[in-house]
Amino acid sequence: MNFLNPQHFPIFAIMLYFLGAFLIVLFGKNRAARNCIAFLATGLALTLMILLVKPIMIDGGIIAYWMGSRVPAGGYAIGIALEVDALGLFFGLLIATAVFVSCLYSFSYMSEDDNEPQYYTLFLMLCGGVMGLVLSGDLFNMFIMVEILTFAAVALTAFRNRVTGALEAAFKYLVVGCIGSTCILAGTIILYQQAHTLNLAQLATIIPLCKGTNVSIAFALLFIGFCTKAFIVPFHPLAADAHGAAPAPVSVLISGVLTKSGIYGIIRLAYFLFQTMNLGTMQFWLVFLGSVSMFVCVTMALAQHDFKRLLAFHSISQIGYVLTAIGLATALGASAGLYHAMNHTLFKGLLFLTAGAVLHETGTTDLGKLGGLSKKMPHTTVLFLIGAASISGIPPFNGFASKWLIYQAAYEKAAETGNIGFAFVTIVALVTSTLTLASFVKVTQSVFFGQLPKECENAKEVSFGMRFAMGILAVLCTVTGLFPNLVQTYLTGPAAKTLFHVTRYINAMLGEGYAESAMGASAPEAATRTIEIVGVWNPVNWLALLMIALLAICIVAIASKYDAVRENKSEKVEAKYSLFYGGEDTVFSQVGGGDLFWGFKHNWRHYFSFMHDLHSGIVNDYSLWAVIALALAMVYALIVL
Amino acid sequence: MFKKLIEESTGKSPWLFHINAGSCNGCDIELVSVLTPRYDAERLGFKLAGSPRHADIVVVTGPITQQSLPRVLRSIEQVPDPKCIVTMGSCPQSGNVFRGSYSVAGPLSKYVHVDVDVAGCTPKPEAVIDGLYLATQILQEKRKGMKK
Amino acid sequence: MILDALKTLIYVLIFPGFLFCFLTGLLLAGIDRKLVARMQKRVGPPILQPFYDFFKLCGKQTIVPAAANKTVFLVAPLLGLAALVVLQLFIPVFQFQIPAFANVADLIVILYLLLIPAVSIILGGASTGSPYAGIGLSREMVTVLACELPLVLVLLSVGRSVGVAIGAKEGITFSLSTIVRYQLESGSLICKASLIPAAIAFLLVIPGETGNHPFDAAEAETEICEGMLAEYSGAPLGVYKLSHAIKMLTMTSLFVMLFFGGIGTGIGNLVALIGLTGGAAAAVTMLLDVLVLFVLCVIVTAVGISFVHAVTARLKIEQIFKYYWTVVSALALLSLVLVWYGL
Repeated sequence: MNFLNPQHFPIFAIMLYFLGAFLIVLFGKNRAARNCIAFLATGLALTLMILLVKPIMIDGGIIAYWMGSRVPAGGYAIGIALEVDALGLFFGLLIATAVFVSCLYSFSYMSEDDNEPQYYTLFLMLCGGVMGLVLSGDLFNMFIMVEILTFAAVALTAFRNRVTGALEAAFKYLVVGCIGSTCILAGTIILYQQAHTLNLAQLATIIPLCKGTNVSIAFALLFIGFCTKAFIVPFHPLAADAHGAAPAPVSVLISGVLTKSGIYGIIRLAYFLFQTMNLGTMQFWLVFLGSVSMFVCVTMALAQHDFKRLLAFHSISQIGYVLTAIGLATALGASAGLYHAMNHTLFKGLLFLTAGAVLHETGTTDLGKLGGLSKKMPHTTVLFLIGAASISGIPPFNGFASKWLIYQAAYEKAAETGNIGFAFVTIVALVTSTLTLASFVKVTQSVFFGQLPKECENAKEVSFGMRFAMGILAVLCTVTGLFPNLVQTYLTGPAAKTLFHVTRYINAMLGEGYAESAMGASAPEAATRTIEIVGVWNPVNWLALLMIALLAICIVAIASKYDAVRENKSEKVEAKYSLFYGGEDTVFSQVGGGDLFWGFKHNWRHYFSFMHDLHSGIVNDYSLWAVIALALAMVYALIVL
Repeated sequence: MFKKLIEESTGKSPWLFHINAGSCNGCDIELVSVLTPRYDAERLGFKLAGSPRHADIVVVTGPITQQSLPRVLRSIEQVPDPKCIVTMGSCPQSGNVFRGSYSVAGPLSKYVHVDVDVAGCTPKPEAVIDGLYLATQILQEKRKGMKK
Repeated sequence: MILDALKTLIYVLIFPGFLFCFLTGLLLAGIDRKLVARMQKRVGPPILQPFYDFFKLCGKQTIVPAAANKTVFLVAPLLGLAALVVLQLFIPVFQFQIPAFANVADLIVILYLLLIPAVSIILGGASTGSPYAGIGLSREMVTVLACELPLVLVLLSVGRSVGVAIGAKEGITFSLSTIVRYQLESGSLICKASLIPAAIAFLLVIPGETGNHPFDAAEAETEICEGMLAEYSGAPLGVYKLSHAIKMLTMTSLFVMLFFGGIGTGIGNLVALIGLTGGAAAAVTMLLDVLVLFVLCVIVTAVGISFVHAVTARLKIEQIFKYYWTVVSALALLSLVLVWYGL
């Protein structure tokens, strides 16, 4: 058996994580061994994923891998299969990158915690679960992996159980997560009963042939199940609680990796399993949920007082963008959505890590208690600003590039279909982006700038290891923002193209011509959709122009002694360099982070008080939401599918 | 070239920062009247600034009460150079009718160098404009003497 | 190659870049101040007053507060200025469009580039740690938010309207140069009934976006000491004042290009009428273009900024937000709906 055959890489990547988890249980007592195993497992998995880029992304191949060579016989796929197309690999890459960086960060971040071996075991279990999910070729294994990752995530959420609310958050997550998993299982069972197979490719072939109530209900169940994993509204409160309690590297996993697994599941459902049934009608559901998530979560984030909870809501808001873009069902939309999913992993990871750094140094993430950290932690501040600029779509960082594509996609869709609804989606997306900026201004002001409270005076710059991990993400944020064309050509483009080539996916798994022969006339033609972008955006040129202008202005400024009179601080003139408080002595008067956008909130006070009442924090309520969402999804599915 | 331009401009764009050091409000109103359409000090480039950091000319009204003294000195200190200090009305110059009161710490000239005194209770707007114009010329001189 | 680089340098530094922005921006601000004064029956400052202010500030001491983050404090104003100057490059001047820059940024990008100066001033203000700056930046951000919705609606309506008219494949266009070129061929967009509400909405957005009276709650000097600028002194303050002036130029010229782009045809015809050809014609056309643009900018400033300034009192921040998200947005939305249904 040739181990260097790319055929084997996917299974190796999954195995590496689980093997690492197992080895850490055995040898984890020793710190060096533990770190070494975790580093090797995550690093090698990332390498394997990168090696797969050539055969899959560039050459356009699909790896179909049957465990134990149990290839289908007699027309039914029984064996366990992995199928890696560009879409799966794209998510695999994201996951491997996020996991690797998060692992690097953990080495220094978690070094003061107890139970480190358990942490890494759970950590790698979670990674293995997600990796297994996105590379899996059959529905039941997807469910298994969902279970693994849910339980690992629950345990990791409660990992710092001395933190107030950690256990509660884990419990909520457990309850609603289990509702989601149950939905997935139930949906899987119904599909198996209908189609007598669990292989994704075969399901995609058979489902269109057995349309009916059962299949519609299965769709609703599976869809809601994956929505809970992606924390789409109405499951967003779970994410806030979980992120608030979990250690920063775990937050990176939850937002960058776990939500992606949900998005991946939804894409597989909508574009592969059920695409041949009726994509157009699913569109409304996806776009609607995406837009609602986008807007509701960003307004929820504006009302938060806690750094990590705020980031958590933004995480869902950005997932809303992804879902919306994917729901548009155009090549541009899909490509933009995937691009944004990637960017979300990068900038959200970066932001969570900076939040972790702040927590590590000051012991709190309460916006009201922090301030002025930019003088104590200059590098973290710069990294945070890059992350914040990315997520709020400030050019030239990556968030802007993908959001811009999403606007184009939504508006093009509107123009193409003549449906003004999509124009409103564009508007919601644009306004949400500004709201995101607003809430990051709030964080910037109340954490990194503003007055330094006494409690934070001992804060210092975090260790090199942590800064290095954050630095990787910051560089990636910048690079993917500056070269959107390369990203489109080599990563998101091929992945988006696979969405419209279901037949190819089926045939790669079950043999050439299978889809055509099994489905007959109803086989979807392999539509070659091209990505058409109306607007123009050339970040490199813009940046070059900006640099020229900035340089020129700086030269003029320096030549004219812009900052010539520096603070020659002798103690006598101390008053001169202290802040102006209307003549009063300098008293500590921090502008509260929570109320910063009073002018906005006042106009939306009814909305905010409604939302406040709605988010009761009681798990019963959230379970009820889940049930209501499921009921609505079922009704929708029964009516339109 | 820029040096000359800057010197010229310094005299043409004086921004005022107004400190009320326990004034009866008479001078404050009169200072505002200077900016009204009738007198329009803006034609000489005068503008009320909100913060001492932006100011060129500090206008002090009132007899400098004990309470206000540290604040007045603090705010004056925060004005970037070159700056001019103008007292308006008799109070900051002599204490006026409040002279000798236990709560009055004036005159201002005890604490800082005052460039222009505009006397009167209250001074007429014409007098105020005249005083401020004098201050701009002092400002220009100060700028010329300022070493970078 | 070197020639191209030199050309780019000239574009960035002289026209339509830094020097042009500097001169016209400050001149526009001066005219605005004079107009407001005349409307209030005052003599008003000389038209060159903003130049005096700028150079005076350059000659003042720069005090960096001890609590401030010095790098951010000093670099933020320069960054905002640079971003504005670069933004001005992407706005064509009737026929005069720099081809090299036409493919760099479209309308949506410009919408975002307009955020950068706001962000830079917010960062600079926040870096001082002053509570006035805290309140100021909160209001600035809310003002930006308030303007965003109507601005988006206006740009989307224009994009759709022109996209349909030129028969673009996707039915929309976001390229500013395409929009201007379309107007050169078929007349100004202001003549389209469906876009008149959008034009009015944009006109109302201008003072909010530039932070002019009565939408200057963020920089209210009488209540919060100019908010984010409270701790700035000397040259950095001058740079912010310059940015503010340039932003007026940017917004007004964007308005002119979006709704009055057709006037360029008249200029071309006029030059042809005189009988100039070749290089001389191009030069004269460009000169006239700039002149006409400036005159139009002054008119837009007079109507959209100065007049509004003279007749209103400062609004509270929640009133600003409400005003933009109801009245102005409704106007823009009307336009979008009209455009959408082909009227």
